[in-house]
Amino acid sequence: MTAIQINGLGLVGGFGCGQQALLGALEKGEVSPVAVALRDHHIPLLQADSAPLENFLNKRALRRIDHFSRLALLGAFQALEDAAQPALDKSRLGLVLASGFGPLTTTFDFLDSVIEDGDICASPTAFSNSVHNAAAAHISMQLQITGPNLTISQFDQSLAAGLLSAWQGLAEERVDAVLLGVVDEYCPVLGHCWEKFCEIPGAQRMTPLDFSRMTGIVGEGAAFFLLQRETPIPARYGRINSVKVGNLCGSKPQLEIVRPLILGCEGLLNNGATYGQYVANGQPVACYSPLYGASPVSPAFDLAVAALSLQRGLLFPSSDDGGDYYQGGVIRETRPCSALGCLRFGNDGEYAVIHLSRGDL
Amino acid sequence: MDIKAKLKQILIEELNLEDVTPAEIADDAPLFGEGLGLDSLDAVELVVVIQKHFGVEIKDMEEGRPALQSINTLAAFIESKQPR
Repeated sequence: MTAIQINGLGLVGGFGCGQQALLGALEKGEVSPVAVALRDHHIPLLQADSAPLENFLNKRALRRIDHFSRLALLGAFQALEDAAQPALDKSRLGLVLASGFGPLTTTFDFLDSVIEDGDICASPTAFSNSVHNAAAAHISMQLQITGPNLTISQFDQSLAAGLLSAWQGLAEERVDAVLLGVVDEYCPVLGHCWEKFCEIPGAQRMTPLDFSRMTGIVGEGAAFFLLQRETPIPARYGRINSVKVGNLCGSKPQLEIVRPLILGCEGLLNNGATYGQYVANGQPVACYSPLYGASPVSPAFDLAVAALSLQRGLLFPSSDDGGDYYQGGVIRETRPCSALGCLRFGNDGEYAVIHLSRGDL
Repeated sequence: MDIKAKLKQILIEELNLEDVTPAEIADDAPLFGEGLGLDSLDAVELVVVIQKHFGVEIKDMEEGRPALQSINTLAAFIESKQPR
């Protein structure tokens, strides 16, 4: 199998809900974070609102479903609706859900309830939602997807891990299509860790291409993709030609210098400079993480931006216009685009490179 | 707040019945099935909620089935188990 097609998109993040919200943010170039309470002060958050899920499910159906799973459901509903394939056989539709942290809020709420009230008073609903594959189960039940169902986590390379699993299922023809979703949420424990370990002094705007400063803002959300094998019909949002993963200890990312790269840096010192080290100065680059924040779900939003760019044949201006490293290469104006790559470095040298091209090529 | 009003409020909050107000829950209406529409998973949650908020344990199905019929039966059960 030479490539897989992206034929549906579902999105919810700090920029809002749906493709139009992300396109609007890409054109504007910025999204304002909200201030969320953390102990005796506030921290900025690119917060995702799952309220539009009520357009798909009534309140009664949602009452046992937590924020994490609601984000996932919202992304899943949108992606299937967007793909507009009523003949799609749900028994031949695989579901791969990837997450860096899983349902953090419910997990900690459940643990708190055990500590405070004892295990006999722990909520069974909170327990069931804290199970790592609860979101995938909700999606499967609500959308009647009965194909293979997998929940996967590889911290901030969860998208790449999910894509490889989806690719395998399609290549082996175990399924006709895969609904791949990446979802992550904010919770106060994460906010605490963010402050403690990242020491970011209340940033209000991310400048991730400035590798000398910490400017990351926590983000959350969900990005879903309906993936299918190549057909004579062009892909709606472009085709994924390859997904390469590795570790700098043993290999180097293979980057084509002629292709623009969407960089997955997100204002963190510990891996920011790695981009400067391995991406040649002069390579056309863009970074859009200021629109959705720092989170394991961000690479999936990068992929969504790539998909929308390929659909339009135009790459959006970078949301950060560059620090010292990429002054010559940062994409500052809309430009034609028929192929590009998404590059993500993790904290310990792991990397993922996804190469895409337009669906009609 | 009397025990029935407290029960209604707890039901709405703990079971996330956002589409229902306390006034809409009749004291003698069935909690499960055609009444309030609760199901078996709610029953498990209710057992935990009753213990957490009232310190009253529902030990088994024999005890739970008649107690969980309505707000009236639940309030009577809690009152019968609470120390005087």
